[in-house]
Amino acid sequence: MTTLDWTSMAGLLAGRVAIVTGASGGVGRGLARALALSGARVVVAARSPAGGQETVALIEAEGGQALFVATDVCDATAVRRTVEAAVQAFGGLDIVVHNAASTLAKPTPLEDIDDALWAEQAGVSLDALHHLAHAALPHLRDTGRGRFLVLSSAQGQHGGAMNPAYTALKAAQRGFVKALAREWGPHDIVVNALAPAALTDAAKAYLEADPERTREAMKSFPLGRMGDMRDDIGPAAVAMCSDLWRYVTGQTVNVDGGYYTAL
Amino acid sequence: MTASASTHGALDGALALVVELGLPLLSGVGEGLRDAGAEVVASRDPRWAGSREDVDAALLAALGPDRAPALAVLSLLSEETTTLRPLSDLDLEAWRAGAADPIRIAMRVLAALGARMKPAGRGTILFLAPSLSLVGGSGMVALSTALEGQRGLMKSIARQWGATGVTVNWAAAAPRALSPHFDAADLAAKGDAVPIALGRRPDARTEIAALAAWLASPSGRGVTGATLMVDGGEWMVP
Repeated sequence: MTTLDWTSMAGLLAGRVAIVTGASGGVGRGLARALALSGARVVVAARSPAGGQETVALIEAEGGQALFVATDVCDATAVRRTVEAAVQAFGGLDIVVHNAASTLAKPTPLEDIDDALWAEQAGVSLDALHHLAHAALPHLRDTGRGRFLVLSSAQGQHGGAMNPAYTALKAAQRGFVKALAREWGPHDIVVNALAPAALTDAAKAYLEADPERTREAMKSFPLGRMGDMRDDIGPAAVAMCSDLWRYVTGQTVNVDGGYYTAL
Repeated sequence: MTASASTHGALDGALALVVELGLPLLSGVGEGLRDAGAEVVASRDPRWAGSREDVDAALLAALGPDRAPALAVLSLLSEETTTLRPLSDLDLEAWRAGAADPIRIAMRVLAALGARMKPAGRGTILFLAPSLSLVGGSGMVALSTALEGQRGLMKSIARQWGATGVTVNWAAAAPRALSPHFDAADLAAKGDAVPIALGRRPDARTEIAALAAWLASPSGRGVTGATLMVDGGEWMVP
């Protein structure tokens, strides 16, 4: 697949300030780079300093501005500090992208989900939404540019047989988005979810281990491939955070090469 | 109102468990299931909201040590979940109690029911909830989050347990048909010359219970993982 020509997106987010959680790698890094390529100044919020700084370096190499702030999204104080850092460094906050996901979100039968596993996953998926919403609201409201984007998953729509906790939490995030869109609509804040099918390093390793598995898996994707994190998933996130999508709120948008079309 | 001719006797002799936490949403449904011939055990035991051991104890108290229900109808919403207020008014404790805990509770209740239904090779589980989460609403962020989380869980478990003969579904009913609690709520409304196709709310005893009875009947056994709208044709979700 060819690299996207970003000149058509340049300036779409000029003057905007964004926080992207879980941006030390994977989808979050792709989104952070995409937002920056579109003109946003980006706070890379993640636990890993090494990965976070690497994302900042990539953004700067692509001509963008970014700042790494060490952030545990389960910690309300840390999230508040991250929002304050964005405002202090870049003069405001317009866009929040909650992408961080638990590293423990692996297939686990219902009966084996213990309290610790649940607390970790629910913390990253739901507590973090609470913290981010509380900290960001004063900056997002009544500017006409406020965007709150949550990275959900098609599993939350069609149900994942072997991963009930992840499925439930990704579905819960969709409920959050639908209700918050109504609650924050009067403040002119747009709230949406994006369900990606991204070719992460883990997905790539899984598929490359077995070419036959790849052929079978790709039958689920009309476009015949999973999405590049920066060049396929990123542009959709940029559009959703820009003025182009200012009248779309409360929605879950599948950015997945046609994988889930049942709605 | 009494059961319609089509549902009367549909559950003759079948054991139906009705579990309810928080708002009383299922009283009419329990009556309707009795009308359909079921032996109904209704439980509002607070232990359903506790640890897995607590949930097992609640199930034991309701059904004894060995019985597997043919049908379980569940409404697992905490008081915190159905107290409507803006997200900005919820501290972390209230947020967890309203949004996350009902999902965790549903996991434990499902696991306990599965331990009885799966060895029996059959069983129907139906979550019954207000349709609010499908459209969202101001002051309902915790409620919508909890309900959609439970609904996603329902789909996952429907897939996980389908081969065992256990079906799991979701009925989204018009909120005001379930409880006067929602009368005062500022609900999203369908703007249309005919906002509700049937022009009325469904009746819990004769119509919502009938859906549950049908799902548990032989002709309903092919339906699992479904979200069934029982709102008289208001939202007509895609």
